[in-house]
Amino acid sequence: MDTSDKDKFELEKSNDNPINYHSSGGMSSDWRFNSTSIPNSSLGLVPTDNLMSVCRGDLVGAASCSSSSVIDSFGPAMWEHPTNSQNLVFCDINAQNIASSSNTVGIGKGFPFSSRNGIDRTLEMGWNPPNSMLKGGIFLPNAPGMLPQSLSQFPADSAFIERAARFSCFNGGDFGDMVNPFGVPESMGLFSRGGGMMQGPGEVFVGSGMKSVSGGQTQKNVMNAGEASKDVSMSVDHMATEGSPLKNETKRESLARSRDESKKGAGGSGNDSDEAEFSGGSGQDEPSMLEGNCGELSAKSLGSKKRKRSGQDAELDQAKGTPPSAKGSPETQQKGDQKPASTTSKASGKQGKQGSQGSDQPKDDYIHVRARRGQATNSHSLAERVRREKISERMKFLQDLVPGCSKVTGKAVMLDEIINYVQSLQRQVEFLSMKLATVNPRLDFNIEGLLAKDILHSRAVPPSSLAFSSEMPMAYPALHQSQPGLIPTAFPGMESHSDILRRTINSQLTPMTAGFKEPAQLPNVWDDELHNVVQMSYGNSAPQDSQDVNEPLPPGHLKVEL
Amino acid sequence: MASKHTIATRHAQGIRARFASRFLRSLLRLRRRSNRFGGSQSNDEGIGKRIRTDRIKIAAYASMARAVGPRRTWSRALLFKLRNRARIHGVSRKRCLVSEKKRVTRNKVVVAISREPSRADTLRKLVPGGDSMDTCVLLEETAHYIKCLATQVTVMQSIADRLLL
Repeated sequence: MDTSDKDKFELEKSNDNPINYHSSGGMSSDWRFNSTSIPNSSLGLVPTDNLMSVCRGDLVGAASCSSSSVIDSFGPAMWEHPTNSQNLVFCDINAQNIASSSNTVGIGKGFPFSSRNGIDRTLEMGWNPPNSMLKGGIFLPNAPGMLPQSLSQFPADSAFIERAARFSCFNGGDFGDMVNPFGVPESMGLFSRGGGMMQGPGEVFVGSGMKSVSGGQTQKNVMNAGEASKDVSMSVDHMATEGSPLKNETKRESLARSRDESKKGAGGSGNDSDEAEFSGGSGQDEPSMLEGNCGELSAKSLGSKKRKRSGQDAELDQAKGTPPSAKGSPETQQKGDQKPASTTSKASGKQGKQGSQGSDQPKDDYIHVRARRGQATNSHSLAERVRREKISERMKFLQDLVPGCSKVTGKAVMLDEIINYVQSLQRQVEFLSMKLATVNPRLDFNIEGLLAKDILHSRAVPPSSLAFSSEMPMAYPALHQSQPGLIPTAFPGMESHSDILRRTINSQLTPMTAGFKEPAQLPNVWDDELHNVVQMSYGNSAPQDSQDVNEPLPPGHLKVEL
Repeated sequence: MASKHTIATRHAQGIRARFASRFLRSLLRLRRRSNRFGGSQSNDEGIGKRIRTDRIKIAAYASMARAVGPRRTWSRALLFKLRNRARIHGVSRKRCLVSEKKRVTRNKVVVAISREPSRADTLRKLVPGGDSMDTCVLLEETAHYIKCLATQVTVMQSIADRLLL
């Protein structure tokens, strides 16, 4: 075990150095510690901080949430070291406990180096067939400089790839089921999943590892591992065939693929986070925007299939296009994440039209926008156009809400109307509250009856009442002037009441009339109130005085009573 | 009570029913409070018409905001403002109001408005919580706010009418 431990340790170190992800001074101590503790523990938990820079939080979360039992068995000392939470990665393949490690395998799907170490153990445990293959490759990188040699010595690339491909199919599901019979192949699968132990180009593996890690990042489920493994196997094949010069492209494509894979799952949010990571961390506002969208998008992203397909198209486009087209405005980020000026994707075009029509497309992850014919394709102008469309759409909706705005065109006038209307409504509330304050003593009577009547009757009123109020003025221009004359004749019992009302109404009328473009509208609303009050006050007392008021009033009265 | 709940749960009448029930309950509460403090004084004296009016107005807005729920930005902002106002109520009304405004402007509107306040700014002042929204969201919130204000007005109207009768 010591040799294996040392090997593992050196392997880790060697892996770390060329990849140069994260070199911490404490690494060596960590490894040493791990090497000693790992054999003790039944789990092969090996901290690797290679990928952690990318996915540490999620990985730890995945680890923690996926199998607490695994964690429990792990020595507490282990946890102390990766206090950064960066170093903690489940070395999924501990040959000692393949059965138990099957769970960890599921967890640690994205960790190339850890899985490599796991394979070490597996080999030691007597995993014969691949032994010859893996041993050389795994045990080789004893020194940083030896890595390429190890890679070259990794003989069975093709065979390995085959196995990885074969084993990947086992992984699409519950990893718990993958017990001993597939323990060994499982480790292989995991190995491949881990990001391609096939060190063709180390960076490719890193990329794929990152990708799978990010896949795991978004999907804390085991399911993703299967997909990620498919990714890895695909990437492995890719790497085996293409070799190092294509590593960048592979990385990106694998990234894209991982994004697609992740999209298959539940998380549009994870997807976005992936993109945030992968687009080079470009656009500092990006993650925030994406996070902001994550909430709403994840809520909508339930239909995975469609999203995946569209996402694949979009992702592939992104992969092929300019990677960080994130220089667009933040709103651009909302739409199809990167909108390369090309906007070549057909699927994105379709979705753009759908998405830009409104945010009520639950299946869209983000809104793709396509430049229309004859229009500028600059990302800025695209974003602005979408924003303008949104605003105009909302203005149309507001036009329906605000009465008397159907004939108004133009944003400015419309906004003025809206402002007037909101102000009038607020004043109405204040007036009504004052009215209620004066009549409050009677509140005790029959509250429930009030409520029932309110709900049953006032339902019919709202659309008509306000419109009615606007129509009222036409019918009561004469009354408008006559009101003040009538009010003083109110009965003493109600005099203070109506005086207050009149005073407030007048005081409020003057500023209203001053500020209105259509002075006829609002004062008439107040007229209604006044009508009601006056009506009631007159109704209680001598009817003769109120006759001239009553007759024109009944329609208004009816309105109120409804 | 059961009928009220069944009515309230119906989505078609959702906001109105919820608002109506809450508002009536708060009115009752206010009424009881005023009764407790001062026997049977006339409405226009004692506590003061303005205070009572304001209390009812605040009760109306609060019950509307709660009926809408925390889903909307403006309802959240409104509840927050009311809660702050109630919390600092004892200290000094003027001071707290001023500080609230300062706080808001400091966080949201950094530039001193030397230009004429555009229409969007006016709308922001009207809609609670409008400072921290961009135009697009502001319009959406305004639409919902207008709808809720309209229901508020109708419910209060019908209550007042029935009470006055």
